[in-house]
Amino acid sequence: MDGLPFAMPLAAILALILLSALLAGVLVFRPALTVHPGGKILAFGVLFFLPLFCLMAGVDNEMERSKSTSFCLSCHIMEPYGKSLHVDDPSYLAAAHYQNHRVPADQACYTCHTNYAMFGTFKAKLGGLRHIYIHYLKTEPRPEDIQLYEPYNNRECLHCHLGARSFEQGAVHNADPGTLPAVKANKLSCVSSGCHDLVHNVGTLSKVKFWNEGK
Amino acid sequence: MPRAQHMHGRLQVAGTLIILGLAVEAACLLSSRPIAFVILASFGSLLISAGVLLFLYALVFLESGNRGGSGPGAPPPRASL
Repeated sequence: MDGLPFAMPLAAILALILLSALLAGVLVFRPALTVHPGGKILAFGVLFFLPLFCLMAGVDNEMERSKSTSFCLSCHIMEPYGKSLHVDDPSYLAAAHYQNHRVPADQACYTCHTNYAMFGTFKAKLGGLRHIYIHYLKTEPRPEDIQLYEPYNNRECLHCHLGARSFEQGAVHNADPGTLPAVKANKLSCVSSGCHDLVHNVGTLSKVKFWNEGK
Repeated sequence: MPRAQHMHGRLQVAGTLIILGLAVEAACLLSSRPIAFVILASFGSLLISAGVLLFLYALVFLESGNRGGSGPGAPPPRASL
């Protein structure tokens, strides 16, 4: 969702909220100000325009923040998934993408787990609400037992890889002439057909080495 | 209750709802917990929307009532001497 055509810094939004609340407070304590034309204009700005603008800016800010890797990993249950991004093994798909910046490191979860069809962001947010519902009102599964709500769609991989030389001309992808068309038609899954099936694998993290980001 | 006072009462309630909604929004923006997003999108936006709608209601219905002299059923203006 793109609420505003420009991104407002958090400090500016908070300052605007404070200003709006102060001006609304003036009208709450001195409603008689609205008798005058100037007061009516003030009331329209303070009780209509400013609150809606603040709300839009706030929701926009939260929407952007909710795409960040740190936001996703702020839930305790996601900690092993965050850890899996630092596995020192290039065969771990998520780690290889994160560490080599094939996905933006600050939006790693969102980049792979959003839906690149129409309303994908909206569906991702609905998925987030479902996480919260399960977290607060149901029994949470163990991290290693978490399953995707729907099978991972190749469309999300092809969003970046389609047309790329390594994908289109890769030896394994072209060993069988039926492979690439099946992958592109989502009939042969990239991640669950035995090819790139080492993704997060949080159940095996106790047995792997971790990359320390060059520190 | 005179209409002006009624209008002022509505404005005060609208202003209070908006202040509460803005306070919820500020608290959510300052929080880093994912639940803050849900609280902002549900509770905060509900308070602000309720305040704005109440203001618009007061503006449209009560304010137009204040000018009630121009309606078809309005009493004729009193002649001055």
